[in-house]
Amino acid sequence: MADLYVKPGNHERGWNDPPQFSYGLQAQAQGAPKRNLLNKRVPPPQMNGPQSNTGSLANKGTPSAPPTMPLAPPPCASVSPQQKRSEEDNSTVITSSDSEPDIHVDTVMLVLNWALAVCQSTVKKQVCDDISKRLNLFVDMWNSGKLSLPVKKRMNILAQEIKKQNWNAADEIHRSLIVDHINEVSQWMVGVKRLIAESRSLPAEVFTVETSED
Amino acid sequence: MATYQEFIQQNEERDGVRFSWNVWPSSRLEATRMVVPLSCLYTPLKERPDLPPVQYEPVLCSRTTCKAVLNPLCQVDFRAKLWTCNFCFQRNPFPPAYAGISEVNQPAELMPQFSTIEYIMQRGPQTPLIFLYVVDTCLEEEDLQALKESLQMSLSLLPPDALVGLITFGRMVQVHELSCEGISKSFVFRGTKDLSAKQIEEMLGLSKASTPAQQGRPLQPPDQTCTSRFLQPVHKIDMNLTDLLGELQRDPWPVPQGKRPLRSTGIALSIAVGLLEGTFPNTGARIMLFTGGPPTQGPGMVVGDELKTPIRSWHDIEKDNARHLKKATKYYEALANRAAANGHCVDIYACALDQTGLLEMKCCANLTGGYIVMGDSFNTSLFKQTFQRVFSKDYNGHFQMAFGGVIEVKVSRELKVSGTIGPCISLNAKGQSVSENEVGIGGTTHWKVCGLNPFTTLGIYFEVVNQHNAPVPQGGRGAIQFITQYQHSSTQRRIRVTTIARSWADAQSQLQHIEASFDQEASAVLMARLGVYRAESEEGPDVLRWLDRQLIRLCQKFGQFHKDDPSSFRLSEAFSLYPQFMFHLRRSPFLQVFNNSPDESSYYRHHFMRQDLTQSLIMIQPVLYSYSFYGPPEPVLLDSSSILPDRILLMDTFFQLVIYHGETIAQWRKAGYQDMAEYENFKQLLQAPLDDAQEILQSRFPMPRYIDTEHGGSQARFLLSKVNPSQTHNNLYSWGQETGAPILTDDVSLQVFMDHLKKLAVSSAS
Repeated sequence: MADLYVKPGNHERGWNDPPQFSYGLQAQAQGAPKRNLLNKRVPPPQMNGPQSNTGSLANKGTPSAPPTMPLAPPPCASVSPQQKRSEEDNSTVITSSDSEPDIHVDTVMLVLNWALAVCQSTVKKQVCDDISKRLNLFVDMWNSGKLSLPVKKRMNILAQEIKKQNWNAADEIHRSLIVDHINEVSQWMVGVKRLIAESRSLPAEVFTVETSED
Repeated sequence: MATYQEFIQQNEERDGVRFSWNVWPSSRLEATRMVVPLSCLYTPLKERPDLPPVQYEPVLCSRTTCKAVLNPLCQVDFRAKLWTCNFCFQRNPFPPAYAGISEVNQPAELMPQFSTIEYIMQRGPQTPLIFLYVVDTCLEEEDLQALKESLQMSLSLLPPDALVGLITFGRMVQVHELSCEGISKSFVFRGTKDLSAKQIEEMLGLSKASTPAQQGRPLQPPDQTCTSRFLQPVHKIDMNLTDLLGELQRDPWPVPQGKRPLRSTGIALSIAVGLLEGTFPNTGARIMLFTGGPPTQGPGMVVGDELKTPIRSWHDIEKDNARHLKKATKYYEALANRAAANGHCVDIYACALDQTGLLEMKCCANLTGGYIVMGDSFNTSLFKQTFQRVFSKDYNGHFQMAFGGVIEVKVSRELKVSGTIGPCISLNAKGQSVSENEVGIGGTTHWKVCGLNPFTTLGIYFEVVNQHNAPVPQGGRGAIQFITQYQHSSTQRRIRVTTIARSWADAQSQLQHIEASFDQEASAVLMARLGVYRAESEEGPDVLRWLDRQLIRLCQKFGQFHKDDPSSFRLSEAFSLYPQFMFHLRRSPFLQVFNNSPDESSYYRHHFMRQDLTQSLIMIQPVLYSYSFYGPPEPVLLDSSSILPDRILLMDTFFQLVIYHGETIAQWRKAGYQDMAEYENFKQLLQAPLDDAQEILQSRFPMPRYIDTEHGGSQARFLLSKVNPSQTHNNLYSWGQETGAPILTDDVSLQVFMDHLKKLAVSSAS
């Protein structure tokens, strides 16, 4: 659902700024058990047994000849397909397929306006006006090309979830959008957020009535 | 029986407790001779996915001076429906609800596997969590924009019913009224004049609301109309607050050439503390201070506004030349104590290239269990992601934050409580079990930790009561009970109770039992906390000397050697890593201030004093893993001999993650072998440490800095400054054809350190 990617940190502003993980990756990491905990240590050689002046590595008789030029190539080996797959899982950027047909802002707005219309019967007018104002801003930004493809795509999915009244899913997409693309969505997303919050607090029947009337 | 290592691990997983000794010496004199005090690291809210809380309240011992909680160590008479308290031996009848209990029908709290149990309290009103943002507007445009966006984003991460408030400051302090209507107002305060809590309440019009909520009556919801102007539920004002944040401008007052902007941080914090004090005492709340520079005016100022006067350095402090230090520190300590008394925690997010006054302000976070995050700019991934993680959730979807914790320690009669080192304040609860020998924050058995997360860890120090001529009888067990009351992020009041017991042993006849029960990792952290606690008040060299003395004494006590023969010196397995921990601790930024600003030292120490054992140990002795073609990744010595041309190293210092490519690896990488199909394995070798680093980056709080470097790279210094300099420019040639990387330093190596240690330990003179 959410995009999974890592982008580099802001090295202009922070020295050795760490990479930035997308909301989806962070959410995954929160529940997942750690793969390998790197917390083991080696006792220094001279504490147990007879004195030895070398580190543990040098004892292994590994070929650590001083690097001579010209450079010898690294040992080459083909990789088993299994290993390969696991590597791909880790490193590739997973996004919803890029070749999706054009998404129209009208399709998205149709759903959002429908939900807003349902709300209008019970929610204060001022709140609805506020939401509507922000949705208009969203349309303006979309039409003037200020929204990136991932934002458009995820807004489309969000609209579909609203249509299906999957409020939790819609809310989660809103959160992933606001975390990953705050600079694009900061002005209007809160309207969508509020729309989801107001809609989910209404009884489900209200929506079925509205749908049948359409 | 399982090995001690397994025992220790099981206990940590189940109870969140690690003791320095797992068999206890039976007299006070013998305990002091063990050098490392009887003490433990306790993680009160350690995550226990397998432990669902019970929906009833704990049964307490009826003796008013005891009130211990019924636990698996209590003796139960099922027929008479009585239980005997294992701390004071009072016989208590079970409450009526327990009428049906029998040997086969026991409540959870009597079963041995529930040595740790959590109760949900049914009493008391539930109050929403409160987040009060205190935002510096004297920032560069880019920084302010990034911060505004992060704050707007956070509105989506907060629980919907949480209350939020906004205070902004520059030369003036503005308290923003939040309303659902279109117009927003704010109250403006001068940043130079200190106001009493009462004045702040009056000026904000809170006084009416605060009267019923004054002392003695906590948790009474104040009059909504007054408070609601400044603190509103997120779900009601999210749209207006988003706009308000979006419209925030840089502080409009002109900053003349050669001056710092005037920043009224002190007054802003004072108003924040006063606002919450007047409206929501004893309710979980977070004051979150975002600042981009030092306080430069009013009470709490750290440096004047003249740029030609630099902010204090360690050198200035040593020469007693830091003008504002004492006054500012005192000011913030008073604020911190007020916030802590009300159960509110204070976070500081300081992003600037120069110092921001963390040294003076650190107490705000340290006494209240708040966070300190230090970064270069608000427009960095380090800040943005760290801030996001403040709102991270657990396996149940609950926020990993808890508030208003009160931790109480009960001990059996053979023990007393000396004190605690951690992010807490004393609640001054005197009693029989309070030791006269204070360690850390002592003189009490109750402490308050206003902000907790699943990793918050206290070091708790004990004392054995029994005199040498009347030791604790053999075969018995001593017991400790930890009772932690807190507000869960779901706003429920909860109580977690952990009861543990350990055997007593006579140190003369059974020293080997005590020795085998030594937990060197816990002991290293507990001793380090003592050292860092001292370092906050004493001169650096004194602390190092103290640590050295303790280490020598420990080696004298537990080493095996022939007198005056250093080469005969041996330590058993249970102690094998301990001297190395101490060696690295001596070099760590927690005890050495060289090369760190006072703010940096404060920051590093802040995190060291609160993290759990695993993280603390990483800070003391960074973890070093080696990746090569010769096998799976393996831990290697944190030593210059581990820096080899055909290895990739991953070093984790907690605050930094360093990936270092050895000389040959770097050359192969430069030659592009990783892009050739037949060298797929090389590509994988390069990838492996990146994947492991990513896993650490995804979970660590705060986000560490990330350094990808290679042999000869300027950033390799981060690795070179941490490894033990076993090969230096001084001894390189005497090492002959030895591999590894020489470090250009005059620092003492672990080998030299150990040689001295052995010599001193075996010496008959000492």
